[in-house]
Amino acid sequence: MSGKKQLLRWFQGRGWTPFKFQREAWRAALSGDSGLIHSPTGTGKTYAVAIPPLIEWLDENPQPQDWPKTAPLRVLWITPLRALASDTAQSILAPITDLALPWTVELRTGDTSSAARAKQRERLPSVLVTTPESLSLLLSYPGTQTQMASLRTVVVDEWHELLGTKRGVQTELCLARLRTWFPDLKTWGLSATLGNLAQASRVLVGAKAGAAKMISGDLKKKIVVETLIPADIESFPWGGHLGLNLLPEVIQRLLQAKTTLLFTNTRSQTEIWFRALLTARPDWATEIALHHGSIDRQVRQEVETRLREGTIRCVVCTASLDLGVDFSPVEQVIQIGAPKGVARILQRAGRSGHRPGAVSRIVCAPAHALELVEFAAVREAIAARELEFRIPLERPLDVLVQHLVTVALGSGFRESAMLAEVRSSHAYRDLSDTEWKWCLDFVTRGGTTLKAYPQFSRVSNSDDGFTVPDAFIAKLHRMSIGTITSDSAIAVRMLRGPMLGTIEESFIGRLKPGAKFSFGGQALELIRVRDMTAYVRRAKKFSGVVPQWMGGRMPLSSQLANVVRRKLAEARRGQFTGREMRAVKPVLEIQNRWSRIPEPDELLIERVKMRDGVHHFIFPFAGRLVHEGLAALIAHRVSKHVPASIAITLNDYGFGLLSAASIDLPDAAWREIFAPKDLLADLLGCLNSAELARRQFREIARIAGLVFQGYPGSGKTARQLQSSSGLFYDVFTRYDPENLLLNQARQEVLDRQLEISRLAGTINEIIEMKIVHVDTAYLTPLAFPLWASFVQANLTSEKWSERVKRMALQLETAAAAEKKK
Amino acid sequence: MSIETHWAGERLILLADKAIVWSRTASLIVADPHFGKPAAFRMAGIPVPESTTASDLERLDELLRTHRNQRLIILGDFFHSAAGLQPAMMDTIADWRSQNASLEIVLVPGNHDKSAGEPPASWNIRLVPDGWSLPPFSFCHEPRDIPTSHVLAGHLHPAISLREKFGGGIRVPCFWFRRTCAVLPAFGSFTGTHAVRPTFGDQIFAVGDGEIVEVTA
Repeated sequence: MSGKKQLLRWFQGRGWTPFKFQREAWRAALSGDSGLIHSPTGTGKTYAVAIPPLIEWLDENPQPQDWPKTAPLRVLWITPLRALASDTAQSILAPITDLALPWTVELRTGDTSSAARAKQRERLPSVLVTTPESLSLLLSYPGTQTQMASLRTVVVDEWHELLGTKRGVQTELCLARLRTWFPDLKTWGLSATLGNLAQASRVLVGAKAGAAKMISGDLKKKIVVETLIPADIESFPWGGHLGLNLLPEVIQRLLQAKTTLLFTNTRSQTEIWFRALLTARPDWATEIALHHGSIDRQVRQEVETRLREGTIRCVVCTASLDLGVDFSPVEQVIQIGAPKGVARILQRAGRSGHRPGAVSRIVCAPAHALELVEFAAVREAIAARELEFRIPLERPLDVLVQHLVTVALGSGFRESAMLAEVRSSHAYRDLSDTEWKWCLDFVTRGGTTLKAYPQFSRVSNSDDGFTVPDAFIAKLHRMSIGTITSDSAIAVRMLRGPMLGTIEESFIGRLKPGAKFSFGGQALELIRVRDMTAYVRRAKKFSGVVPQWMGGRMPLSSQLANVVRRKLAEARRGQFTGREMRAVKPVLEIQNRWSRIPEPDELLIERVKMRDGVHHFIFPFAGRLVHEGLAALIAHRVSKHVPASIAITLNDYGFGLLSAASIDLPDAAWREIFAPKDLLADLLGCLNSAELARRQFREIARIAGLVFQGYPGSGKTARQLQSSSGLFYDVFTRYDPENLLLNQARQEVLDRQLEISRLAGTINEIIEMKIVHVDTAYLTPLAFPLWASFVQANLTSEKWSERVKRMALQLETAAAAEKKK
Repeated sequence: MSIETHWAGERLILLADKAIVWSRTASLIVADPHFGKPAAFRMAGIPVPESTTASDLERLDELLRTHRNQRLIILGDFFHSAAGLQPAMMDTIADWRSQNASLEIVLVPGNHDKSAGEPPASWNIRLVPDGWSLPPFSFCHEPRDIPTSHVLAGHLHPAISLREKFGGGIRVPCFWFRRTCAVLPAFGSFTGTHAVRPTFGDQIFAVGDGEIVEVTA
């Protein structure tokens, strides 16, 4: 019987019929193609790509009596999340076990024990499920090519998660390496639906693999988006509410479903909601759990197991459960707070009804009135399939530098062959000769040819090509490969007891011993921090802070922002379609009465005099990141007309400028202030760009192997090599200003922190708009949240000493105020 | 560039270059130069430009010349680690020493010096392992209290964190003067910092960008 027949029979034995897209994928893979399969979660993507390698092998080995004891490596399965690895392995194992094939399936992730890893270095399993970091680490061992000799297929799971990140670029480089070794290698990517799928597939297969097949598994999965409407709508919402006013409604919903995933946007919000639920329903203590990326793996796994078994009522979680694990028992998904992106809501909705054909249902709980508009917009965007793009990164040199050392350490390389290989990846297709030379020099000499650093050599160039001869350098490098994503993380551990998880150093750094904080749903007291570990004990009473993790603030996507503007324009014309819009109607009517709801071709500027000064609120609706740069730019240009110190506040809808005096300018001057002319120069001039770049350099320094995080037990030698990225930034700026990593930091500030292209787009739109000034007597519903939260005003062109003096003065005033008390 | 302060009845000039001039005794005081730290990093395959050693010595030269000092007091951690004692750097320092042969150098060894080893005898550096005293001051590596004396120390690499009114902020190296103990910022260019939390009554002088500013709360 042919391999295909055997596997079809296995499928039928489970009561399944292959979907059209699965058959399509099998056909393509069996004829040697590479490609990308996109579909919502829970539609059977795994078996679309896991089956063909089995068929292929069965056809090559038709006689069971001739089968080897175990088949050598045939499939490499790359997944972005360690948490997904074991589930994926289970799925792949099912047909193998049922058909009694001599295949082994093993994991190799950061969680794999060193004994298991050492064994794998001797012999790889038939299917290896791994992460980009672990694959990279594998490439750093010399024997890997021989070990992988029979590899046929590499699968990249959740490709949309990797695309647009440095881990994605690391994956691209690893794939390029594998394709050099095995030119016939097939690459298959699995992705959620994206706005730029064609590009996603080009990035995945690189230049060599030729055209890739694009296979759609979009089974028109039915998605129901429902919004909880609070009984009384607060017209003047602010950021701190977190939707807790909807707690009773949410509890009602939890009672109605067997198992619910409750998504929030930040890890701190999960902590807050978990505590609130427990306070309201102490009887649920064993029925609800918490899940986020910082919680210890074992605890997370327990939660995941209970989810799979359907023995848990509710899990409060963040993006850590966004990805593909199959939790079929999940009946309902609740989203707390603004959706911020269309694809995200689609993904989260897909976590329920996680079976082909089932309905996915998401219940949205807006944290404040204006979020009702966002949810209305999300539903419209989902219907119209207006999804976000994931823009791939362009040649980040820090990742290349790391990869060059990795390859030198593994098989070694020759210059021209390696350059061709690197350029075959999408990220480095336009890598210039100068950039390439610089990277090579950086790892071999430290500086450029003329400025070689004495006694420095990480990679050495000899007749054998580029290699890493020094064992200590090799060890340091392998330790740093895995750290591409993590910000310096501190372990949280009970003084006498288990590890609870990890937390950002910046948070723990602000706490003094004895301080109380909430973590993993428990009230804890900090005892001391030592060796990258925060020792804690249970606190008796909770009255502390909830940790703020980095990256907690998700900016509104431009796709969604556009739909929000459309919805507002409809409201302006008195059109309120849908429950959300009808509910938010009173709030928008106040906005319109006191000020105005702007048309899509209008820029609204509200001015209101308050006790603290004169506020100008400007609403471009372009998302937080764009507003950050834009607000700084506008404040800078305004200050040329009105000499005053200006404080800034911003959110996804607009930004506010606070000054002592009113900014009275003619319309022409305002036009000039929003002009695209000299955008970049002005922006760099007004932002403390050096400081931003210095901060951005943290990640670059870590990836390029300049700074090492303290590893527990890494000993004194490593401790003496510890340094901060800021120090490297300063030293390079001073002594090696042409260092291209500095350029990269500046470019990343523009691209990532300020979204310069989106900002330029916004400015170009604004210049076509009509500017509408409105003097208001009170803070309007749009302005109130801006007024309520002053943030990020790190925007100054003052001299260093003046700035320090001013900040010191603030300290003094604060101290004086304390003394008075 | 500099700030004058009076402490223990003595006039001290605090320099933005992270050193103190004690004019009455023609002394220049620095802490924690960590010579050889870049070399130690390079030996481990971490690229750090070499120029820091030379430029730190130039900075020292400039200060000694401008303030006509006859004595240099180093408050410990002269060397960073044994791995950093590379010939090129040792030659650079030896050259510098021979050009400043008449200068008296006193070194209070710090914790790093203990594992890195002593400077060569030919450099003619006076080692005072238990600290040194020139009333009203005592010179130590680690900050401590000595009754009836005012202590000048290093070791901490003190820095002060300053916050903006609305978010953001910076961290800058500083001199930290308490009632009877003052801590100098690290002199070496390739050294890290440690944020200190001053208490009421302390004096803090922040340095950066070639300037020095008092930021006492």
